[in-house]
Amino acid sequence: MSVKVYLVDDHRLFLSGVKAELAEDFRIVGSAYDVDTAIAEIRGLNPDVVLVDVHMPDGGGVAVVEGVVATNPDVKFLALSVSDQAEDVIAMIRAGARGYVTKTIEPPDLASAVRRIDAGDAVFSPRLAGFVLDAFAGAIPSDDDPELDQLTSREKDVLRLIARGYAYKQVARKLSISIKTVETHVSSVLRKLQLSNRHELARWASKRRIV
Amino acid sequence: MSPNRSGSSLIVVAVGSRHHSPVPAIRSFEFKRRETDRIVAGVAGGLADTLRIPDSYMRAAFLTLLSIWGIGGALYIAFWLIAFDKIEDEEVETVGSSQTLGLAAAFAGVVLLLGAFGWWPNPVLVLTAAALSFGTAALSDSSRPTPLAGLFDPNVEKPSRTRILIGVVLLIGGLSILNIRVGGLFEFSTVFLAIALTGVGVAVAFGPWVGRLVGDLATERNERIRQEERAEVATHLHDSVLQTLALIQRSGDPARMAMLARHQENELRDWLYGIVPLDGIDLVSTALKGAAARVEEDHEVPIDVVTVGDHPVDEQTKALVGAASEAMVNAAKHSGADRMSLFFETDDDQMSIFVTDQGVGFDPSAVEDDRRGIANSIRTRVEKAGGTVEIVSEPGEGTEVVLRMPVEDQ
Repeated sequence: MSVKVYLVDDHRLFLSGVKAELAEDFRIVGSAYDVDTAIAEIRGLNPDVVLVDVHMPDGGGVAVVEGVVATNPDVKFLALSVSDQAEDVIAMIRAGARGYVTKTIEPPDLASAVRRIDAGDAVFSPRLAGFVLDAFAGAIPSDDDPELDQLTSREKDVLRLIARGYAYKQVARKLSISIKTVETHVSSVLRKLQLSNRHELARWASKRRIV
Repeated sequence: MSPNRSGSSLIVVAVGSRHHSPVPAIRSFEFKRRETDRIVAGVAGGLADTLRIPDSYMRAAFLTLLSIWGIGGALYIAFWLIAFDKIEDEEVETVGSSQTLGLAAAFAGVVLLLGAFGWWPNPVLVLTAAALSFGTAALSDSSRPTPLAGLFDPNVEKPSRTRILIGVVLLIGGLSILNIRVGGLFEFSTVFLAIALTGVGVAVAFGPWVGRLVGDLATERNERIRQEERAEVATHLHDSVLQTLALIQRSGDPARMAMLARHQENELRDWLYGIVPLDGIDLVSTALKGAAARVEEDHEVPIDVVTVGDHPVDEQTKALVGAASEAMVNAAKHSGADRMSLFFETDDDQMSIFVTDQGVGFDPSAVEDDRRGIANSIRTRVEKAGGTVEIVSEPGEGTEVVLRMPVEDQ
């Protein structure tokens, strides 16, 4: 059975473009141009993966994710945005998105990202991997804040390779580990990103915007 | 205090105001006492609202009149009695200091008139009071930035220089008269009297004009700044986005279109989010993005640039950026890959750059001469600056050029 995909984007032209690209590989069960319709329909349709835009009126992608997570915990979200601003990425990941890709992504890469998300994995684009490395590199070791999760050196290795443009398969070969292990590392990084010290990440994000 | 005298003072206000730019409220002479922002009972404030002059000048007028047989006090009480209501604290336009001019002129006229009948008030007292109160008013006028605030707070707009001058002259004049009076140096009093009078004259004559001029200039300047900003945005969009869109419309090649759009996107993004070197310090990340954009443009291969951390550009990093640029050119020419990535990372000890492609790759131990040449030029450049170069490749497995450079403590 093919993966059920739902699309949310207030930019109609872009929405129809993505729909056409994904229609071959997935079952597009519906789409919405606004937050309220999206939340109502996703609750009813219970799709496998929701591709959601970040910047929309009435709360944007964060509102969609938060509006659905409580009622339909099995729905997985992939953020798809023109923005690669640190604040946007942090907000979406915190809300519960399993991945974040920019709209410049190549169609085949988008399709594989959707498949990966459906399989329960997290999706890190090279840019997002660099962003996570940057955020955690700036975080001060846990003396004054025991809650702050640090990345293990293995997780950093995986992120570095992804940031260098390696596919998961190549990462696995390079580090002599299985793809499954790579996916585990990426998922645990995602979890740390979702749980890590709010203050540190926010400060890092705002600093990054200035420089 | 005879009713006759306070009556003439009332006329002073009315006559003076009628002669210079009549204000609708004056005709019926309705005024309301101020409820907030008042000192005694809000009479002066209310009158200032009605006459549309700054509070401080109105209060100065009352103080000055107080020195003429106490007329000011009588007037204040009279207005207090006829004030039938309070006024809400509202924003009142404080332009039109011409009313102040009228008040002062009419006041001087009445004093002279009374003087002609031999009813001089004590001139020293009156002039001292006038100079001190109006001088203070000019300096502390709450409707405009005060000179003192202007001196200490760089955010406050520069106050009118003329107004400061007038205020200072009035204050000095008034204080001098007081000093002479106390010291009993009557022989010089006329000179200082003349100075004080000249000060008042200048203030009255040019004050409102200067005030209006400064106001107009400020409005005009704000308008000009807005227009300049608009023009700048328009110029930028015209030179960049519109040109690119035109190119895209004319281009039949999808790859070329994608390249143009991508290039424009990066450029617009940097412009929108202000990603420019701060304080003239060039950063490695910016230099690398620039280098990647040039390679993208020349060779039509998209390059994903990811940077972690940053470092200012110096001789060492210049070599690193130059080598990375050559590595990108090399990959664009020979790898056959349809995209590549550049990853820059710096920590406390070293900077690393990875130029990675998924192209045809090659056997590093058996390369053609021209490729060895490029590899050597990369190597020479980086090693001369104290770094290392590693080239990892296998036929069919893509190529990765790794450049490392120790970070020097500064």
